[in-house]
Amino acid sequence: MKMITIAGGLALLGAFTASAHAQLLTHKDLSVTTAVTIAQTAVQTCKAQGYNVSANVLGRSGEVLVAMRGDDTGPHTLENSMKKAWTARAQRAPSVNFANAVKMNPTIGAIHLTNMVPAQGGLPIMVDGDVIGAVGVSGAPGGDKDEACAKAGLDKVAAELR
Amino acid sequence: MHKIRAARTEIGNGLRDVPIRTKQAPGLVRPQQEGHMPRTICSTMGISLCVMLGSAAAAQAQLLTHRDLSVATATTMAMAAIEACKSQGYNVSAHVLGREGQVVVAIRNPAAGFGTFENSMKKAYTARTTRAPSGKFAAAVKDNPNAAQFFLTNFVAAQGALPITVGNDVIGAIGISGAPGGDKDEACAKAGIDRVAAQLR
Repeated sequence: MKMITIAGGLALLGAFTASAHAQLLTHKDLSVTTAVTIAQTAVQTCKAQGYNVSANVLGRSGEVLVAMRGDDTGPHTLENSMKKAWTARAQRAPSVNFANAVKMNPTIGAIHLTNMVPAQGGLPIMVDGDVIGAVGVSGAPGGDKDEACAKAGLDKVAAELR
Repeated sequence: MHKIRAARTEIGNGLRDVPIRTKQAPGLVRPQQEGHMPRTICSTMGISLCVMLGSAAAAQAQLLTHRDLSVATATTMAMAAIEACKSQGYNVSAHVLGREGQVVVAIRNPAAGFGTFENSMKKAYTARTTRAPSGKFAAAVKDNPNAAQFFLTNFVAAQGALPITVGNDVIGAIGISGAPGGDKDEACAKAGIDRVAAQLR
């Protein structure tokens, strides 16, 4: 009996140690089809409104999953959509939040980091409160319109984001 | 002087994405602006000289007409290639580049090795700039490891990319990476092009 208790206690201890140090991280990440659907829906939604835009979908580490240059867009929109997405991913918030923060404090530290841009049009991609990536859109006349198209992309795959 | 003013006027009018290309013979046609009479140099020349200059201008100044990939066609092509490889059990990444080697669509497949994203771009770049399958460049490098182009940025001596052609005009390229063998990558690239063949004209 005593042996069993000790054994049980050791096993418990072992389990705790393992959970504290050795347990692997379990992540949900975007698949290629989901990412492409987000980008394509965003581009098409803006196109339907008469705006030619580019879109980027980034993954958990800010890596490019999909970069999509829209028809007849300005050449900078592909880069800008990436940076908006990067900003949203890094801040775990719509890139407009950072735009507002920079308005309040133009010397805010993060503005000096690579790829950060104070512009609306990037949204984080969330699964149960976890940010697994971001989508950025650029090219519409106004960041609010870019963001609306980004949101259309996310709405399209809402059922898959869980 | 007139040209500089015209350029300023265009920018002032908010024509942001219109590059100011004045390939016409200088001074032949002055831009109309600021209420100037649309005078041409012809008015100070004899008719025959004017006609001659006019035809020279036509030869030099005609704009180029290009067919280019739409984002819809490019995306269809890339996804068809990825799916073709997937159905054979290969996870691949894909790039579709346009006429100037610019990225039209770049798709990273998280299920493929992370080097495949970059490699698919470089294969496509190689196919676009050599106007030939990247496997051809790979073969050329095998024959001559010092092939000068091998040392240019984004060239890669690997099979798996094909130029996208309309008639004889190369309008872009598609590159695939991730399958066990460049021949398999290339087959998927071809499947992508075949999917949109009807649109490539």
